[in-house]
Amino acid sequence: MRISTSWQYQQSVTTMLNQQSSLATTQNQVTTGKRINVASDDPVGAAQVLSLNHILDSNAQYTTNINAANTRLTTEGGALDSVTSLLDRARTLALGGVNGTLSPTDRQNMATELSQIRDQLVQLANTTDNYGSAIFAGTSTTTVPFAKAADGSVTYNGNDGQLTTAVGSSLQIAIGDAGDGIFMNLPAGNGSFVASAGSGNTGTMIVGDSSVTDTNTWNAAKLSTGGAINITFGNGGTWTATDASGNAILDSSGNPVTGSYSDGGNVSFDGFSIGLSGTPSAGDTISVQTNQSQDIFSAFNNVISALGGGDSDTQLANTINRQLETIDQTQNAVTNTQVKIGNRLNTLDQQSTAYADLNVTYTSALQSVQDVDPYTAISNLSLQSSALQASQQVFAQMKTMTLFNYLK
Amino acid sequence: MANMLNIGVSGLNAAQVALSTVGNNLANLNTDGYSRETVIQSEQIGQPNGRYTIGGGVNVESVQRAYSSYLTTAVWQQNSSLQRADTYNNLNTALNGVLTGSGNLQGSLDDFYAAFSTLANSAGNSSSRTALLGSAGSTAALFNTLGQQLNAQQTQVNSQISNTVNSINDAASKIASLNAQIRQTAPGQVPNAILDQRDSLVKSLSGYVGISTVAEDDGSISIYTSSGQSLVAGNKSFAMSAGNNAYDPGQTDVFDSAGNDTTTKLSGGSLGALLDYRNNVLNPAQNQLGQAAVALSSSINAQQAKGLDLSGNLGSPIFNAPTPTVLASSRNTGTTTVSASISDVSKLTASDYTLSYDGTAWNLRTSSGQSVPTTTNPDGSFSADGLTFNVGAGTAQAGDSFVIQPTRDAATSLKVVQTDPGKIAAAAALTATPASSNNGGAKLSSINVTDSGNAALLSNAKVTFTSASAYQVTDGSGNVLASGTYTAGQPITANGWSLTLTGTPAANDSFNIAANSNGLNDNSNALAMAALADGGVLNGGKTSVLDSYANLTTFIGTAGSQAASNLSTQTSLYNQAMSAQQSVSGVNMDEEAASMVKYQQAYQASAQIITTAQTIFASLLQAVQG
Repeated sequence: MRISTSWQYQQSVTTMLNQQSSLATTQNQVTTGKRINVASDDPVGAAQVLSLNHILDSNAQYTTNINAANTRLTTEGGALDSVTSLLDRARTLALGGVNGTLSPTDRQNMATELSQIRDQLVQLANTTDNYGSAIFAGTSTTTVPFAKAADGSVTYNGNDGQLTTAVGSSLQIAIGDAGDGIFMNLPAGNGSFVASAGSGNTGTMIVGDSSVTDTNTWNAAKLSTGGAINITFGNGGTWTATDASGNAILDSSGNPVTGSYSDGGNVSFDGFSIGLSGTPSAGDTISVQTNQSQDIFSAFNNVISALGGGDSDTQLANTINRQLETIDQTQNAVTNTQVKIGNRLNTLDQQSTAYADLNVTYTSALQSVQDVDPYTAISNLSLQSSALQASQQVFAQMKTMTLFNYLK
Repeated sequence: MANMLNIGVSGLNAAQVALSTVGNNLANLNTDGYSRETVIQSEQIGQPNGRYTIGGGVNVESVQRAYSSYLTTAVWQQNSSLQRADTYNNLNTALNGVLTGSGNLQGSLDDFYAAFSTLANSAGNSSSRTALLGSAGSTAALFNTLGQQLNAQQTQVNSQISNTVNSINDAASKIASLNAQIRQTAPGQVPNAILDQRDSLVKSLSGYVGISTVAEDDGSISIYTSSGQSLVAGNKSFAMSAGNNAYDPGQTDVFDSAGNDTTTKLSGGSLGALLDYRNNVLNPAQNQLGQAAVALSSSINAQQAKGLDLSGNLGSPIFNAPTPTVLASSRNTGTTTVSASISDVSKLTASDYTLSYDGTAWNLRTSSGQSVPTTTNPDGSFSADGLTFNVGAGTAQAGDSFVIQPTRDAATSLKVVQTDPGKIAAAAALTATPASSNNGGAKLSSINVTDSGNAALLSNAKVTFTSASAYQVTDGSGNVLASGTYTAGQPITANGWSLTLTGTPAANDSFNIAANSNGLNDNSNALAMAALADGGVLNGGKTSVLDSYANLTTFIGTAGSQAASNLSTQTSLYNQAMSAQQSVSGVNMDEEAASMVKYQQAYQASAQIITTAQTIFASLLQAVQG
């Protein structure tokens, strides 16, 4: 085949240009460390890079959310720890009011300390996170969810909503608890019912701990009595019971329930039991009511006002006993919330570890798609540069290979 | 003796011609389109002289160019393909560079969605709201930049089309005038240089657009474009022209000499590459980018409308809603106008459409010519592929048509319309509260907004269970809005919301539905907007905004890598055709050197013959004088 001289030159120039171009590509890969610099380098890989970067970005955001949630939940937990110790102190104080006789000064001091504790509680219930939003306000914008009036009564301005944060594509976790469930809407008494001494009682009977002993019987009784039972004492500790409509409550045989109480004993029927002490006068009553609720601040206020009034020791003990029940209910609610916070913090920890692990996985996946293998790239680089050198040498040789060199 | 001198002189002449030809070959060694020339010699017939005949020396018959029409035509064809592949690759390389160089849209979108999470983490913090709007602004700006870069490519393609059409016309007219010169050449003479020039021009022309050639008997060449239009016939050339598309003045089309739009019929060469690239890469890329912009705007705005802002109002849009572009044909004879709007983003495609009137009905076709069935709405408008078309007042004439570009300009027109950080609707719109007297086990699972356009959405309502399995919904005045059979986990709907409960209610249990105006610190709607990062919007709710951008990246990348591999294939095909043609027509220096030596020696030999003739003549004279 005849070879056209100019085409031959042009071809060897083209070869060198091509080699230089692939050398430049490889050099670019080595300097940037990336295999994909524009989408056309690897169209499928480029889309993978996008989706891997998206996953990494999302995980980074979830990790940020986890840290924010951690801060908020830790603040909430800290506030609740302080609430617990305040309630413990209040409980100890109040118990002092039940046992033994108090002088007016004692009563005054106790009232002062209790009102201080109440104010501290209000402040704790108004705890805010690092952005100034109230932790116990639910989803309300108010920064003071618990507003204290001049008379010491506290109203809740928040709502029962719950803030959440996303810690995964379909995993949301609560980062707060509405304050009304912890401080406000607490079931009164033992949680099922409240048993309280009649305000007109004249005896020395003090209503102590009450409880449901048989849930099924109690639930049936709750319906049949309309949720209210009145126990009336006669002479010598005998008692009878009527329901909300004033009808006598009957036992399983159809006879009216009745019994006799002596100091330190209890009154029990229909699946519940009320512990009593002291001696009732004839006509003294105990009322049992269901579905009652109370807030912790009223409990404090009730004790404070009872201490300030002219109540007898018996009346004071009865009042404080009821409020102690509310303090216990609050302690329960706080503990439950703390358990929930603990669970959430656990979940956050697990998620955080998961994202740390996933980051390693996805980053290495990203590297394998996007990054050039340095060994391959550098070996390509030296291969391509020696190929270019060879072409250049061939060109130099070609220059001398013409018949004209020999025609002299 | 005289005979001998004549023979010697003819030899000298022939060698001189041959040496000149060698010289010309060497001089044109690097001339593009030059065909190697050789001298055709023949023996001169001498005078018969009795029993023998002495030859009369040598005749130079012609100087012929080494030429193969088959191989040259093959080069033209391969040149068309090569220039197409080369231009196509250049355009795609530029596009890939634009995509990489215009910033990281994925990162920006992720930042934007993350801003909602950050807002959710710090619901009471106004700086996170401001930051969110800033993030929305930079995402919109990135869409704009990308869109503008693609627009710039459109402009560049338009001007390249015009320039190429000019080059085609220029080459065609030069070829026509060379045709005329070739026709005028005296019979029997071959104008080698003019033929070479013409072939070179045809080769250039083949690089601009795909052509076919016919060699005519009179030596001229006729040239047709790939679409069959005549470019050159004899000494006439027919000019193409570049002008505006009948619908879209922003697109340059190519018209033949009769004024017909031949844009869709042309292929090959750099013009074919430009048209192909615009139609199959650039327009779809712009549409897909616009589709992502529409998806972003509509999904965020829709979720925004389902929540309450800091003032307790339903959220107003964050982004503007890009609208489809409707372009009337300049050939329309009727007076009616058409408007289009996006009615369902999940069905929106990246295609353009042509809506044409056949005299009785409107027909919708995609830009690739597929017929699209439409459904007629009660108000007389009609819908297809997530678009709703309204034919305005005026009369339409048969043949009137409109082009609809649903998403072409969406990326450039995307902007943030929300300026008040307080109007980001982070809070849920509604709350459902169980009545305190409820005795049953029904628990609230969720309350969602299904129709943010419902006027009564935020009105108070009450779901009351008349039994454990039946409910009725009443408004604030006690009017019954809805009633039905309750199944746990099945939604109860009214007023544009949907309430889901679990568990079994007792008779007379109730749930109150009200605007969440007391819970404006809520972040659940912000979280819903953050979750849109992975939420399907397009393609029937399967493709998220980010997916759509990833698809665009793959689309552009694939076009680029295919263009590059096609270029390397076409380059080697062209090289093969070129070396075959050059092996016939190219000049080889060694061959010419050998020829030079050969003809130099022939010259010297002929000169020697003349010397000899002179010597023997002198000898004769001497003898006679002697």
